[in-house]
Amino acid sequence: MTEATTEATATRNAVISIEELSLDYGKVNVLHSLSLTIPRGKITVLAGANGCGKSTLLRAIRRLHKPSGGRIFLEELNIHGLGEKALARKIGLLAQSPSAPEDMTVQELVRLGRYPHQTLLQPWSAGDTEAIEQAMAGTGVGDLRDRRLGSLSGGQLQRAWIAMVLAQETDIICLDEPVNHLDLAHQLECLELVHRLKEQFGRTVVLVLHDLNLAARYGDTLVFLRGGKIVATGAPADLVTEELVADVFGVQARIITDPVHGRPLCIPLRLSERQSS
Amino acid sequence: MTMPARALASSRAPFVLVAIVLLFVLLASTGVAFGSTWIPLSQVWDVLLGAEIRGKTVIILQFRLPRVVIAALAGGGFAVAGYLLQRVTRNDLASPGILGVVDGAALAVVCFLAALSNESNALVTSIAYQPVAAAAGSILAIFVVFAFAGSQAASAIRLLLFGTAVAAVLKSLTVIAMLVGPVYQAGQAARWIAGAVNEINWNEIRITAMGMLPLMLIVLIVARKLPPADLDETSARSVGLNLPTFRVHIFVLAAAITALSAAFVGGVGFIGLMAPHLARRLIGRTVHLGLVGSFFIGASMLVGADLIVRLLFSPTEVPAGTVPAVIGAPYFLYLLMRNQRHD
Repeated sequence: MTEATTEATATRNAVISIEELSLDYGKVNVLHSLSLTIPRGKITVLAGANGCGKSTLLRAIRRLHKPSGGRIFLEELNIHGLGEKALARKIGLLAQSPSAPEDMTVQELVRLGRYPHQTLLQPWSAGDTEAIEQAMAGTGVGDLRDRRLGSLSGGQLQRAWIAMVLAQETDIICLDEPVNHLDLAHQLECLELVHRLKEQFGRTVVLVLHDLNLAARYGDTLVFLRGGKIVATGAPADLVTEELVADVFGVQARIITDPVHGRPLCIPLRLSERQSS
Repeated sequence: MTMPARALASSRAPFVLVAIVLLFVLLASTGVAFGSTWIPLSQVWDVLLGAEIRGKTVIILQFRLPRVVIAALAGGGFAVAGYLLQRVTRNDLASPGILGVVDGAALAVVCFLAALSNESNALVTSIAYQPVAAAAGSILAIFVVFAFAGSQAASAIRLLLFGTAVAAVLKSLTVIAMLVGPVYQAGQAARWIAGAVNEINWNEIRITAMGMLPLMLIVLIVARKLPPADLDETSARSVGLNLPTFRVHIFVLAAAITALSAAFVGGVGFIGLMAPHLARRLIGRTVHLGLVGSFFIGASMLVGADLIVRLLFSPTEVPAGTVPAVIGAPYFLYLLMRNQRHD
């Protein structure tokens, strides 16, 4: 394959293209002239140390922040030309610490995912019912539908929120640190669900994770950020090297291949084990 | 398996609503029947349905009915405004009275009365401008409160503190305006501030109703945007609702409804706090039922309050607004203590 056709294939597969995006919080520059394409139907993980701009990038993709420069295209459309609801029919986002009233039920929460599909004259349709039933079944919260959010465990609550985003029926789902407050079992449960969003529901998933090993295990593509710039992009096996981990996280580590999944596994070294270089 | 409490609450909501409306109808007809002479309810109904009863028709249509109608419109208006504010701030303690909206309207109306009346106590301009003045005052007040509260507006206690502070300043400005303004207006202004439904005429009711109808229609149309407003800002945005902008729209709408309710009746506090809260307890989260329920609970409260002051103090006219104030203050303290536990 020639280089030109490879590039053309990449563009066709890209569902989101980011061109030289810059973003400031007040006077602080958070993202610097960053370009990236996000492939369709894959899990892309944005990873990096705290404060590297990964959450900001995710939120910028969902137009929650106004960039100071550059453009973001959703297929051929500039996202800054889309209406609020039109964009909400294309990209769903689960915030890092979402909140809803404690006396709201799971089903009421999931129904809110249908809001962008509703109009004044068509407040609720059979399609909406089908979408929320599918979303609740797919995330395993069907039996919890009448439970109040305040009575759920952390893992159940997270699944209810994912059900809301799934009910939105967007091609792209963004999740900002979805496993942050979950214990090991629920972290796995949640990420398996994210994996199913791709496999079973055919969604493009963009995920922010700070745990490198989880990122390497679940991501099809990793994007490493440092100081608001992209350091490297690629498949986990090609990308996760000892040099890069030192570069991105500032940690000396040994990289081995995970004997179970064949993905790279990062083992950070203790201070006493480090070689002086 | 036992039926979950939530499902139970939402399935009985329509029946609760019917009960609330029936209670309102009963209170309103009693409000018309009661007076210096008791008119039997059957005669009240006949007259309302168009029958002519010698001596009774005039009393009912010209003296008794106006105060009941204005009490229902104003009480319902305060309640709907409170429902909107509580919902959109996710805060049980938000209400037009507590957020300074009523005091803003009061100050504006007192200034209006003082500036535009002549010595014989007659307005030199149309009375139709009184709601306009009240609306301007209300909207200004709510924006001052939220400008001070800024990003802390979602916190119950912070919002309450700023609202109380702004309300206190507006109250003292109102007193100053009454003291330095022309003396012949002070009595009228004082009665207005306490919230009174007597001496209302059909012209004033017509102005109120003509304003209330379109506002309530707008409320029913924007009501479908209230459920996503229950979420945090990012999640609401993610499902397609720009919450900060929507909040501003709701604040203006609530302030306009409050102003219109207060325009002729005056500042009736606490109905805007209690009625929507009760409606949510009785009816649940369903928006349209909750709004209609709030309206009729609020209407029943003010009609009932007017009935109580007439029963207790007749023939002296005590402003009806004193009753919700007496009942509302402990209710407010109860909500405050409950909220404290949640924080």
